[in-house]
Amino acid sequence: MKTVFVRPERCIGCRHCEVACAIEHAENKNLFDAISEDPVSKPRIHVEVGIHYLTFPNRCRHCDPAPCMQVCPTEALYRDTETGSVAVDYAKCIGCAVCAMACPFGIIQFDKVFQLDTSREVNAKCDNCIERQKEGLIPACVEACKTGALEFGDANELIRVSRKDFTMRMIKSEGTDVEVPKIPANIQAYRTIMKEIAKTCE
Amino acid sequence: MRKMYDASEAKKVAAQRALDPTDQEMIEKTIEDGVETAWDRLENQQPQCGFGQLGVCCNRCTMGPCRIEPFGSKPDRGVCGANADLIVARNMLDDLSTGAAAHSDHGREVLEVLLETAEGKSQGYQILGEEKLATLAGEYSIETEGREKEAIAEELARAMLEEFGTLKNSIQLAERAPEKTRGLWKAAGIYPRSVDREIVESMHRIHMGVGADYTNILLHGMRTSLSDGWGGSMMATDASDILFGTPTPVTSWANLGVLSKDQVNVVMHGHNPVLSEMIVKAVEDPELKKYAEEQGAKGINLVGMCCTGNELLMRHGIPIAGNMLDQELAIATGAVEVMVIDYQCIFPSITHTAACYHTKVIATSEKSKVQGAIYKEFHPETGLDTAKEIVRLAIDNFPNRNPDRVKIPAKPIKMMAGFSEEAIKGALGGSYKPLIDAIVAGSIKGVVGIVGCNNPKIKHDYGHVTLAKELIKRNILVVETGCAAIASGKAGLLLPEAADMAGDGLKSVCNALGIPPVLHMGSCVDCSRILVLAAHIADELGVGIEDLPLGGAAPEWYSQKAVSIGTYFVSSGVYTVLGIPPKIFGSPNVVELLTVTLKDVVNASFAVEPDPVKAADLLETEIERKRTALGI
Repeated sequence: MKTVFVRPERCIGCRHCEVACAIEHAENKNLFDAISEDPVSKPRIHVEVGIHYLTFPNRCRHCDPAPCMQVCPTEALYRDTETGSVAVDYAKCIGCAVCAMACPFGIIQFDKVFQLDTSREVNAKCDNCIERQKEGLIPACVEACKTGALEFGDANELIRVSRKDFTMRMIKSEGTDVEVPKIPANIQAYRTIMKEIAKTCE
Repeated sequence: MRKMYDASEAKKVAAQRALDPTDQEMIEKTIEDGVETAWDRLENQQPQCGFGQLGVCCNRCTMGPCRIEPFGSKPDRGVCGANADLIVARNMLDDLSTGAAAHSDHGREVLEVLLETAEGKSQGYQILGEEKLATLAGEYSIETEGREKEAIAEELARAMLEEFGTLKNSIQLAERAPEKTRGLWKAAGIYPRSVDREIVESMHRIHMGVGADYTNILLHGMRTSLSDGWGGSMMATDASDILFGTPTPVTSWANLGVLSKDQVNVVMHGHNPVLSEMIVKAVEDPELKKYAEEQGAKGINLVGMCCTGNELLMRHGIPIAGNMLDQELAIATGAVEVMVIDYQCIFPSITHTAACYHTKVIATSEKSKVQGAIYKEFHPETGLDTAKEIVRLAIDNFPNRNPDRVKIPAKPIKMMAGFSEEAIKGALGGSYKPLIDAIVAGSIKGVVGIVGCNNPKIKHDYGHVTLAKELIKRNILVVETGCAAIASGKAGLLLPEAADMAGDGLKSVCNALGIPPVLHMGSCVDCSRILVLAAHIADELGVGIEDLPLGGAAPEWYSQKAVSIGTYFVSSGVYTVLGIPPKIFGSPNVVELLTVTLKDVVNASFAVEPDPVKAADLLETEIERKRTALGI
């Protein structure tokens, strides 16, 4: 099973993933044309602040079975068998938002899409960049992520890396070589400062 | 995004945003009225880009924009090959030079008014600071014997203006620094050579392919900052003193409650007081007074905002409505007829805010036009006429005020200001000896300058006020400028009675002299007054500034000007604690240089600490270190 694995501790809130996603889902897949399209393409990944200025890039997990698919009354949501992604047939979507009620991650958004001539807003969630994947490319958000907060690959392999790191920390002292890089001291210091700043407004 | 108005929710939000109850009251009104403020915009900006926050984003050339992966992977260099250290250093030099340019260009403009006044070309201006004129004439070796003050001022203004591009390779006013401190500058190669030159050279150095050594770039940053602190800013202060008089202690009022319910309210906002000084004159015009009455007003109420406000407060006791984050709140009272703006720290959206009420924004500087504002260009030759036109416009607008939408906080706070370096010396009885004796005896441990801005990331005024209270409790005298001083005014710390909050030693000194434990020294260019104060104390002891038990702090800073101020404090030997991290954390080497290594160069460094109590600990420790070294 391939997935986009999120390492939230490495997200610095730059929103490169959001921009890359919006471009990828625009009619003209380049920045300068995409910003003047009507309807304008919106990101399907959402980098939001939790507390203390710490961020998490939230996107569709492409569940299987997918609660959104199970409740969709018009079968607008379907599975792309080749990539295992949950995709939307925009023409079939009636905008009832039942899928959003069923989604455990709150990542479904309703927007106008260039594929439809009407002004209806439809489920315009992450499609896992099916077209890119079929061309052998990784999802646009992962490609845009420069900090390794988003990784694309075999889920078990990505989990194995985290598991092995934990094992290494258990049997050796902290600071040993690990595959998931440790957070550098300067970034730790910065985050501590931002946490203190956030606390003045609590 | 907040959707529907909920009074209890608004109250809660207001309490998170600001410390001062009158500010909280007005923040609630902005939420009720649906007026967007900086706090809302900060919320809308979340999350903010981590590359930018860490300083590792470079957007200078078209091979980029580039950024460095901050966790140690690729990309570790921009397209040009710059690494994190270089990108951070170039960005910091850029910010610092912008700040130095802002202060210095302000200084230049005051000198231009001085020159035109000396030449008899300006309207409404006089030379009121004759003592300051004599002092500077002495420093610039200008003959005063038997000469008219105008003739002296003309020669002086030209000599000072020449400093901006001087070929003599040093700035005259930097000679005010103690010899030992200047020796450190010469040894480090950071002695300021001219005002404009350092800024222009900064712009050169941050171009691709010029400097690739982050230390060398930041050393030039120190030199540029010194050309501001001991150059441009100091000239702004001194030229203003020559034109408008050196401030002396004065009593006034602070917070949004200084706005009047039944008078025409004019808020003067920005930094350069040259036009606002004429507005202070214009409101004395009997014709305008009569016109205000005809329009149903009980008079004309002038109040200040930010550093233009500080300048007018220092010299005329004009009440101060607030600091940087109060600009939108003042308009939200619904009682402001006109907000006059000159430049710096004016929100570009201020006319958007004003459009929610009857307020008219009047832009006055060719350098600082704002869309949606009425434009009345300032020229020294027509200064008073323009000021009168502006006051007339304000009166014209009074009948448009909608009383149903007016809400002014009830009670302004009494405060003292006007503590120029000369005034502090005066309060001490004409010599620094009493202060030095108190420091040696330990009843006053040291002096800390709290300066700088507001930043919506920190609860409004919380950083300033908490730190000031914490320091005076520890017998550390506090001197303040800019937004910090206004915060203390609102919090009641600028009164002799506030000495009750101080430790016993400081309290007894304040009580004996009848001064507050926190002294308002002026606007942000007046941080130069703090330098002069430090220099005089050092001279009296025969040491350098870097030897004195001093500290600096900018608990809520936001602006590039603050980067320059912080750096000229540190470069002058004053340890400085920042409440907001500068954009340097993407480079551990730059952090190390600024927070540790600099101590070996100028015996002072930066620290970053948002928690005001912990910041006070750091400052106290540094003061103790310097006291021990002095053997006291």
